[in-house]
Amino acid sequence: MNDMLKISQLKVAIDDKEILKGLDLEVGPGELHAIMGPNGSGKSTLGYALAGRDGYDITGGSIEFDGQDLADMEPEERAAAGLFLAFQYPVEIPGVNNAYFLRSALNAQRKARGVEEIDGMTFLKSVRESLKQLKMDEALLKRAVNEGFSGGEKKRNEIVQMAVLQPKLAVLDETDSGLDIDALKLVAEGINRLRDGKRSFVVITHYQRLLDYLNPDHVHVLSGGRIVESGGEELARRLEAEGYGFLEESAA
Amino acid sequence: MSALIDQLAPESGLPDDSHAEVRRRAQARLMSQGFPDPKTEAWKYTSLRVLEKREFQGIGQQAVPRCALPFAADVLAFDNGQYNPDASTLPDGVRLEPLDAQSLETLDYAGREDAFAWLNLARFEQAWKLSIDAPLARPLVLAFATSDDFSGAVHPRLHIELAANASATLVEWQHGQGEGLVNLVEQIHLNPNARLHHLVQRQHGELAWVQRTDVSIERDADYRFHALDGGGRLVRQDLRLDLLQAGAHGEIDGVALLDSRQHVDYHTAINHQVGHTTSRESFRMMADGTGVGVFNGRIYIARGADDSHSDLNTGNLLLSDSARINTKPELEIYAEDVTASHGATIGQLEDSALFYLRTRGIPTQEAMALLKFGFAAEPLENIENDTLRDWLMVLLNEHLGSF
Ligand SMILES: Nc1ncnc2c1ncn2[C@@H]1O[C@H](COP(=O)(O)OP(=O)(O)OP(=O)(O)O)[C@@H](O)[C@H]1O
Ligand SMILES: [Mg+2]
Repeated sequence: MNDMLKISQLKVAIDDKEILKGLDLEVGPGELHAIMGPNGSGKSTLGYALAGRDGYDITGGSIEFDGQDLADMEPEERAAAGLFLAFQYPVEIPGVNNAYFLRSALNAQRKARGVEEIDGMTFLKSVRESLKQLKMDEALLKRAVNEGFSGGEKKRNEIVQMAVLQPKLAVLDETDSGLDIDALKLVAEGINRLRDGKRSFVVITHYQRLLDYLNPDHVHVLSGGRIVESGGEELARRLEAEGYGFLEESAA
Repeated sequence: MSALIDQLAPESGLPDDSHAEVRRRAQARLMSQGFPDPKTEAWKYTSLRVLEKREFQGIGQQAVPRCALPFAADVLAFDNGQYNPDASTLPDGVRLEPLDAQSLETLDYAGREDAFAWLNLARFEQAWKLSIDAPLARPLVLAFATSDDFSGAVHPRLHIELAANASATLVEWQHGQGEGLVNLVEQIHLNPNARLHHLVQRQHGELAWVQRTDVSIERDADYRFHALDGGGRLVRQDLRLDLLQAGAHGEIDGVALLDSRQHVDYHTAINHQVGHTTSRESFRMMADGTGVGVFNGRIYIARGADDSHSDLNTGNLLLSDSARINTKPELEIYAEDVTASHGATIGQLEDSALFYLRTRGIPTQEAMALLKFGFAAEPLENIENDTLRDWLMVLLNEHLGSF
């Protein structure tokens, strides 16, 4: 079977500064991969490069998503093709109603795929369901996107969006940071609910706690713009216990 | 400058009616002070050259547009500046009468910056007193429209008084056509405990529109202003709130959308004359093409007006390289125990917000439209009445479709 995501020797530069320096990663359908790594190692850069942010220049290598080369696709085309990025720092959009935003997003994706628009009732039902599962107040639907949301609410709102948009591949960038213990569990459940054997996940995190709920198929360490170590869940436990120090030793 | 005097205020043409004395006094002030010029601070960014080039003639023969509103309302129609009783309905609790001469005798305005108020006082065709004596069940609409062939200069004057405990929603529907000038003066007074929600929806093509709205607010009375301003060739709005007694509250919210050949200038002032008064203001301007916006928001807290609170924020969005917005918040505080804050930003559409929307699948054009809408809608969101808020939001959305 084809990979969901196949990244080969990816090099990404911001303002001529190389951040990703030849990164390889293959994610199969239905797999959940965790990426850990020190601050500033390039994890968010990878997420942005996947989503197609301006200024993240691909200077080498390739990204193939579900059989398509991402290089020439606009962010909205990648989304319509089934790619989702949960932001490390979700953006506030003043004045744009959360429910309206989400419905516009869903319908834009459906339109791009040639599927008819969703009707208002079905849409509301599905958002309400997701909100309930994440124990989010329905009033958040009427508020502006992320504006005035608490840190944890913003993160949970990303998961609500993921649940409504039903992507093929979700890249979650530190969605667990800033969550309280109960919220962390809710978010993990939100992710697990979407695991159907076909949908894939790349979960960027600093902590083993989230991974305890998710049981990742693979754990990778991104350091200095490359994947420097891969393993199973035991790697996450080792990192939690020892920090990143042992990697330098083994590299040396 | 004297060209404007010749065109708008010729010595000869003063009506000789029961207001003759007041008119002569106003004319004399206007002659001695003149119209604003580029050195007049309050008109620094708004040139009157557009007016100088115009020849003002008749008020036109063609029919004026009639308002079609998505809510039940009583309408007072002012066609080409004149009250039209045939197109109007007066509900119970509302009286419209010619203003008595006395009310005008003691009126005073400042110098050159107030030239249009003096001009109105010298030249008004009709001056009306609108009395609202009780809580009104449905909105009262002032429909100001001019016809396609309107090329006159008219000076409507309207004094509005809300009795103690009265409450009303007043919607000004302003749709000007033609190439003339409307120079409207409104004087609004809220007696104790009165409530007025005042909405202005303005859309003037080539028309020049100068409006002065002075609002005085007594004890525990509450005044709220909302504007959705689609601009005009030259629009100047002076809005002044005087909080006269403890418990008085005033709010100004507005958004102005400007495209090429449009100039809108808002000068707002909120004066806390006594203590224990509160106000807030939020204003947005968005300019595309060669549109020009001017916003000057002044908050004044008088000596002794202790324990007063105000907050002013303005935001501006430039959508083209040749659009311009001049914005200036001014705080003047002479009292103690007050809180007053202001913030002003001028910006372009945020890249990070645009990217966020696009990662959710929303195409670039649609994402930009959403961001513009979000920016412009903010001051209208706190309209409590759902019907009125939805009405303005729909209009805003339609308007942005053309940006
Ligand atoms: N716009 C930019 N201009 C210059 N350097 C940048 C820019 N954005 C990111 N960087 C740099 O790229 C490097 C990688 O940043 P990135 O955000 O990908 O790290 P990260 O692994 O996500 O870190 P964290 O764990 O702290 O979230 C950092 O050194 C950062 O300073
Ligand atoms: Mg990061």
